[in-house]
Amino acid sequence: MRVLLIEDEQRLAENIATALREVGVAVDHAEDGEDGYQFGQQGVYDAIVLDLMLPGKSGQSILHDLRKRKIHTPVLILTALEGKDSIVQLLNSGADDYLSKPFDLGELLARIKALIRRAKGASSPILTVLDVEIDTIRQTVSRDGQSIELSPTEYRILEYLAHRPRAIVSKQEMLEHLYDFDWEHNSNVIEAHISNLRRKLNIIGTEPLIETLRHRGYRLREEAHR
Amino acid sequence: MNSTKATVSITRRLIVTVLSLEIIAAIALVGAITVHERHLQFTAFDASLRGTAESLMGAVQDAEDSGDNVMLDLRSVHLPKDSIFRVAETGRVLGSKGDLPDAVRDSASDKLDDKVHGRPYRFVILQGVRIIDPGNANKGTAHSVRVIYGMPTKRIWHEVLEAIRFFVVATLILLGVTALLLVWVIRRDLQPIHDLAHEAERITGADWNFSAPESARQTKELRPLADALEAALSRLQQSFAQQKRFTQDAAHELKTDVAIVKSSLQLLSMRMRTAEEYRAGLARGLDDLTRLEKTVQKLLTLARLEQPDDGRSRDCSLRAALEEAMHQSKSYADLRSIHIDAIVEDDAVVPLDRDDAVLLCSNILMNAIQHSTSGSVVEITLVEESATARLSIRDHGEGISEADRQYLFDPFYRGDLSRSRKSGGTGLGLSICRAICQRIGGSIDIENHPAGGALVTVTLPASLQPRSAVMSNNISA
Repeated sequence: MRVLLIEDEQRLAENIATALREVGVAVDHAEDGEDGYQFGQQGVYDAIVLDLMLPGKSGQSILHDLRKRKIHTPVLILTALEGKDSIVQLLNSGADDYLSKPFDLGELLARIKALIRRAKGASSPILTVLDVEIDTIRQTVSRDGQSIELSPTEYRILEYLAHRPRAIVSKQEMLEHLYDFDWEHNSNVIEAHISNLRRKLNIIGTEPLIETLRHRGYRLREEAHR
Repeated sequence: MNSTKATVSITRRLIVTVLSLEIIAAIALVGAITVHERHLQFTAFDASLRGTAESLMGAVQDAEDSGDNVMLDLRSVHLPKDSIFRVAETGRVLGSKGDLPDAVRDSASDKLDDKVHGRPYRFVILQGVRIIDPGNANKGTAHSVRVIYGMPTKRIWHEVLEAIRFFVVATLILLGVTALLLVWVIRRDLQPIHDLAHEAERITGADWNFSAPESARQTKELRPLADALEAALSRLQQSFAQQKRFTQDAAHELKTDVAIVKSSLQLLSMRMRTAEEYRAGLARGLDDLTRLEKTVQKLLTLARLEQPDDGRSRDCSLRAALEEAMHQSKSYADLRSIHIDAIVEDDAVVPLDRDDAVLLCSNILMNAIQHSTSGSVVEITLVEESATARLSIRDHGEGISEADRQYLFDPFYRGDLSRSRKSGGTGLGLSICRAICQRIGGSIDIENHPAGGALVTVTLPASLQPRSAVMSNNISA
């Protein structure tokens, strides 16, 4: 998962970004409204955390312009403003959720994850593909009742694929959604991780889960045989 | 609005005043009418008395005897029944009726009031010569005749009183009608006051909109009140809005600072960390907390400065305060390679707490250093002339934008709507400076220097300090 954080308050942004990275979410940070809008309109993010008072371009205007450009990335607003009116107005103009400052960091993380999940059509935090269960809260994976140990990156790849059942996900898309700008973009990394993931998921008596479509990408098999 | 004191009603006052004036006028009028009517009636009465007396005189005629005697022939004279008369020739009474008082009979005047049986009478006395048989050869005989005729005056007074009564009744009716009309007219004319009050009543803490009703605006006497109300309310609204904005900004600022502290600590407690990570995290949290503390401190300072002065007399040397501020900001200036060049020609004693004076100087100085281009000079001059100290601090930075200029002293204004905190500071420094200056009747202004950079000018009331006194002030400080 990859989240865009648009927040001008340096220390707050640092804390949020660190917390998100610690739970395995890639974070890009924009310090002002202009940059934030430029990042956001690429449409590569799974969620956007948006502060309202920003230099350059206000949060409202970023939200408005993103929605106008048909960018449907879920947006969570961080606001220190009082008043129900502004909240109603924000939700009406396309925000998906909001949190008032000072917020609880744990709650922020939970809300961001819930937003991403819902945007991908899953309402439960437990994703199931064939006989594989992915608990997105505890970040654990089990197959046929057997727990499988995955590295953080492997887990992120599997979770991302699980969020997009039947769809072919290119290596480029995976890079965009799983890594922030601080990482080096190298598609070989993805191949290596996929290979490891296949090996770990390959429990005796089960079918291969991840399909490779040459030059196109990867796909999770969903045609259940049971 | 309910007062335990007796309230004053303009309507009642007006009505009472107008009616009192009318009553006084009516009394005067009735008095005048009485005098006039009495005069008229008595003139007519006198004329009629005289007329009858003349008739009586005319009734003295030649007697039907051979001599030159005269007699009274009353056939052609109509005499009312209360009348009294006496017609006499020298020594001989020709005729009389009623009891004529002796005083009247012998009176020498031609008109006389007297009482007959307790009733007031008026008498006319006609002294005439009656010539009998003027056609005779001896041209007739002259008879000196004295006619006294009187009538009771009661009837006249009755007439006069009748007239007065008519006027009194008419006046009373008029008064009643006037009172009713007054009530109606005054009520109608006072309606604009009620309209104004009604409009003013709608003002609440949430809705300050007030525009005087047209009726009040068109009333000459109410217009100043309506204008004053409008102006006062608009001033109140402005200061209320300012307070509200300040509270909102302060809340925003504090919430952001609290959010940082909270998230720092929560981040630290998200999972088990090494001792080194905890140490670094706690240090960061402490820094965040220090920033929160600074914001609170500045808010409290501003709140204190915006309270009315307690009137305590105080003074301090502005030069000493400036020197201390320069000392305080030296390390920051060195860090940014900025040279501070101070030209202090005079010293001035300003009526400020020493701490406030230092705060004023250091806030402006730190601001100047912050906005200076690295390696440039901040120029300070302090002069005192005609009981005014003028402190100018000029930097060689990017200057200020004209659009920002009027807001620069507003709390939390940072030259950007976003209140970006990257530049550091709470955005309260200049507000505090303005509050310090305004508290003692001084002023602070910021403008662009013609040769570039921003120029802050502080003007404070001051008294010139003799050089020796400056020294002692420095020592005692």
